[in-house]
Amino acid sequence: MSTELGLSIRRKSATPAGATGIRRDTTEVAKVVDIDLCIGCKACEVACKEWNDLPAEETFNFGSYQSHQDLTAATWDLMRFKEVELDDGDIAWLIRKDSCLHCEEPGCLAACPAPGAIVQYTNGIVDFNQEKCIGCQYCVTGCPFDIPRFDQKTKKVYKCTLCVDRVSAGLEPACVKACPTGAIKFGGKHEMIDYSLGKVEKLKGRGFENAMLYDPSGVGGLHMMYVVPRGDRLEDYGLPADPQVPGTFFSALGVLRKLGTISVWGGLLASAIFYLRTGRRRTPSEDEAVAEAERLGRDSAGDGVAKEVPVGATGDGGPNGEGEGMPGVAHPQPQEEER
Amino acid sequence: MSALRIGNGHGGATNGEVAAAPGFERYTFAERIVHWFVAFTFIALMLSGFALGYPRAYFLSGLFGGGQTMRFLHPWFGVGFTLGILWMLVSWSREMRMNAGDRQWVRSMKTYAGSGHSGLDVGKYNAGQKGYYWFSVIFGIVLFASGLPLWYPWLLGSGINQIARFVHHGAFLLMIGGFIIHVYMSTVMFPGTLSAMTTGRVSRAWAAWHHPAWFRVQDRRKAGATR
Repeated sequence: MSTELGLSIRRKSATPAGATGIRRDTTEVAKVVDIDLCIGCKACEVACKEWNDLPAEETFNFGSYQSHQDLTAATWDLMRFKEVELDDGDIAWLIRKDSCLHCEEPGCLAACPAPGAIVQYTNGIVDFNQEKCIGCQYCVTGCPFDIPRFDQKTKKVYKCTLCVDRVSAGLEPACVKACPTGAIKFGGKHEMIDYSLGKVEKLKGRGFENAMLYDPSGVGGLHMMYVVPRGDRLEDYGLPADPQVPGTFFSALGVLRKLGTISVWGGLLASAIFYLRTGRRRTPSEDEAVAEAERLGRDSAGDGVAKEVPVGATGDGGPNGEGEGMPGVAHPQPQEEER
Repeated sequence: MSALRIGNGHGGATNGEVAAAPGFERYTFAERIVHWFVAFTFIALMLSGFALGYPRAYFLSGLFGGGQTMRFLHPWFGVGFTLGILWMLVSWSREMRMNAGDRQWVRSMKTYAGSGHSGLDVGKYNAGQKGYYWFSVIFGIVLFASGLPLWYPWLLGSGINQIARFVHHGAFLLMIGGFIIHVYMSTVMFPGTLSAMTTGRVSRAWAAWHHPAWFRVQDRRKAGATR
């Protein structure tokens, strides 16, 4: 979505000034997908396409119940199907609604170099602003869940907005509204956690002893969580067990950036000071310079290796003509000359 | 190459007139072209690099037609820059080879920085110029190599991407350091130096003072030509 919809902003990509929100904190929202209740009907996929006016894409049968093989720039929500053999020889059919997980600490936002192209509202929704996106795709590499998709035609990156336009108007996201079994729930983050933890207990009672709430701390938690019945099978669901925002990388980059700022301005300042101290180094008169060159030639005749001569012998003040320099003053070695 | 010499301030001297023109030719037309090509692409890369790496410098993207166009142009400037660097590598690497005298120059660098004159029998290039040349070639290639994964982020995955971004940024800062010194020395510090790269020629005094060994060779050659 390209507008900020009257929502307060908590984080903004590549914006040193940071958040602009002044309103009191809005309730953090969250969506939770109760995988136990999901029947894989793909109504959410259709609702997503409909609400967001996303064009249909031609699909083909690749031997799966899945509609598309992968998320695309125009498919922000995708039901992923996978059959796995369990340890006891049984078969489990794993179904997961794949879309942006709206991290509390978004790796995409941290990676983005375009000011304001990625924002996080105070309600937790992470949104791309294609008007400001420059198409560098750093967000793609910053995302631990492989969500953002680059469009070759517009050269911009797209993903689920968590229907921020609906949410800001007090409505639930389109996928939530369309879900016939109530597998996708939407509400305050705490409310959703309460629901999920209760559900996890029920699943455990039913024999899913590894049932869990997927809300990993490596990304600061999610605003799109899962209740996973088979928590020991996260990788099979396509969920990383311990997703991380590369925090050390971003802080190292931040240090480098500070260092860069200081050294570039410092270098310019040092040059200016060096100039004020030493001025221009004028070439002496042609006769003097030529005499010096001929003398050096005689001194180093034959061996081809230059010999050191006392610099003062040729008149230290010479090249400093017009009194711009400071002849006779022992110049401290300027730092910038070390390279 | 001398037939292509332009803008030397002597109404386009032909081969026969070169000997009569004051001073010496220091850079051929081709050398000046490659220098300014590399300079132009470097400045474009530096400004767009600042915009991409420093949010406060993002306004510089306006110089390139906005962020998206800048993102498109930056890698292509990089390709041009790298080609220029390779051209420099081919055409200058022999002249830039370090020798025993250069070690002596490095030792007397303090004197050089203080007085603006090393007092040594320097040839066409002193060790500082040679050092800056090799520094630019090496970090130019580092910048290209680390820039590739940033051009196509999906190419090598996020781990490599992060390392590349760090290396690219670090090499960028080193290059800017070298660039500031290079520009300062060739324009503000030593009068008569910039025109070597614009007109291709330097005065006798400049040559004798800064590059005495090179001066003597040029002087003998020129004396031979006019005789």
